[in-house]
Amino acid sequence: MNLVEVQSLSKRFETKEGPVFRKTSKTVVAVDQISFGVSSGEILGLLGPNGAGKTTTIKMLCTLITPTSGDAFVNGFSVTKDQQKVRENLGVMLTGERTLYWKLTGRENLGYFAALYHLDPSYSRKRITYLLDLLGLREREGMLVENYSTGMRIRLSFAKALLNEAPVLLFDEPTASLDPQSSRLIRDTIRNLKKEGHAIMLTTHNMEEADILSDRVAIIDHGRIVKLGSPSELKEKVKSSDIIEIEARNLSDRIAEPLQSFSEISKVAVSTAELADEKALLRIHAEKGKEVLPRILEFLIRKQVSVTKVSFIEPTLEDVFISETGRSLRD
Amino acid sequence: MRTVSGFKATIEALAAIFWKGIKHYTRYPGSFLLYLILPFLFTLLIFGMGQFVGGSNATAYFAARTGSNNVLIYEILGSAVWMTSWVVVEDVGVALRDEQMKGTLEQNFLAPVNRVTLLIGLSLTDIVITAVIFFVVVGTTIVITMPTAFLGLLQAYIALLVGLIPLFGIGFLFAGFVVKFKEPYVFVQMVNLLFAILTGTYYPVTFLPHWVQFLSATLPQTYVIEDMRRIVLANQTLVSLYGSIFILLALALVYPVLGYAIFKQIEKKASATGEFSKY
Repeated sequence: MNLVEVQSLSKRFETKEGPVFRKTSKTVVAVDQISFGVSSGEILGLLGPNGAGKTTTIKMLCTLITPTSGDAFVNGFSVTKDQQKVRENLGVMLTGERTLYWKLTGRENLGYFAALYHLDPSYSRKRITYLLDLLGLREREGMLVENYSTGMRIRLSFAKALLNEAPVLLFDEPTASLDPQSSRLIRDTIRNLKKEGHAIMLTTHNMEEADILSDRVAIIDHGRIVKLGSPSELKEKVKSSDIIEIEARNLSDRIAEPLQSFSEISKVAVSTAELADEKALLRIHAEKGKEVLPRILEFLIRKQVSVTKVSFIEPTLEDVFISETGRSLRD
Repeated sequence: MRTVSGFKATIEALAAIFWKGIKHYTRYPGSFLLYLILPFLFTLLIFGMGQFVGGSNATAYFAARTGSNNVLIYEILGSAVWMTSWVVVEDVGVALRDEQMKGTLEQNFLAPVNRVTLLIGLSLTDIVITAVIFFVVVGTTIVITMPTAFLGLLQAYIALLVGLIPLFGIGFLFAGFVVKFKEPYVFVQMVNLLFAILTGTYYPVTFLPHWVQFLSATLPQTYVIEDMRRIVLANQTLVSLYGSIFILLALALVYPVLGYAIFKQIEKKASATGEFSKY
């Protein structure tokens, strides 16, 4: 049985734009008719760029936002009809470090939320000690959160989501802005929670994280699920193409666009994120990549693009995203 | 997992919210001083205006108009009730806004704690602190200036506590406005200043125009202030004032239900528009 069942869930926001007295209404579709399920002991990754609708989906599942249409069920309870029951069955970590009380200590924060989740006081003390140990925060439990590092705050926020041992866990960007050690700790903990039988959903725009953690990945763009399957299944579908990755300076979407006209090339995407020195990353899906590469390089050099690195790579979930949307996930 | 339920769960949650507030106070201690001094400052302001503008006959005029020649106690009772009611009315909304600004409101709303418990709990610390300070401020003044009235103050205090319940209803209404409009002080300060005018904080409401007195009659503070003055300054008993206590109890039933119903409507809309996470 699926512990999370999402049925044709949609969310539209009405916004007003323009100067005062001449505002016009605009409808923004944040989530558009999505359906999926997550079973016990499964991790589903929601992968998509910023603004794709991942957080809105999570917020609808945890009753913070009411869906415009459709419904979702958490452990059998409807998010539109049984909100109190849904909250009892959920452990949620929302993104950001300002989800805690900075003027309380780590232990006081967890104690406060344990009471809101109606945990028995004697049990909650043991549970809090266990979670502080698990996430390496025990030694700093008496320190005010305002004196915590970003990584410690995010780990504490993660611990908060585990307080009530809920069957369904929702993590919104759980490792965003974490150092590698803290990220590994969170990922290992998520894997253990999966083994314990929790149904887990996590949103991320980090494709490596989605790849290594998720049993299935839902690729989401403009509020729609464009692809759903296991990471290996999804990557298998783009394996028929060679994937060329070119690192270069003076590169932009406008410069790279004409490459689409090469008959061997099926997709071209430029990403400027996460690279230093004004470098950009060009990803090309092509038939017979080795044959077409000289022509690609010649074209780029003619456009005064300074190529610093060329490699043929194994397909990643980013390539699945490029293949489906024609855009890079990192932008 | 071991959980508690029912009344015990509510008390545990309220206690946690209360102690969280107390810890915040001890880590930002400046507000204590403000609460201690404000009733005296308001009273001195009115007292000074009376003395300096009214001249040597001010006290006699005051006694003729109010029926009491103890200006200090008369005014400090009004000031302290006004300040306490200000906190109750303002605090649910302000506390909600404060949580929203900190980014913790959604975290509270994610928990399966009942919304009424959460709303009351968020303002509980301020209310308890204000009520205790009220007792200390007014009690000290009475002990120093007319010690025989101290027992009366204990009865008067019961009237105050009953009068706080309907104010929660007005507080819920403001909390709804805060969720919707995000500007707690605009509404609350305007209305709280109106309360000072309408409820006889510094003068008897009987001097107000009749149509204004009609508005005064809808506000619980009007009855609380009048009852407290009658008990402390005119030696009446709480039992003899059963008429106004009955009205306060009726308001205590109607206002919170009405206020919460409006809050829930606004909350429902806010949930549809994703308002809780907006600044």
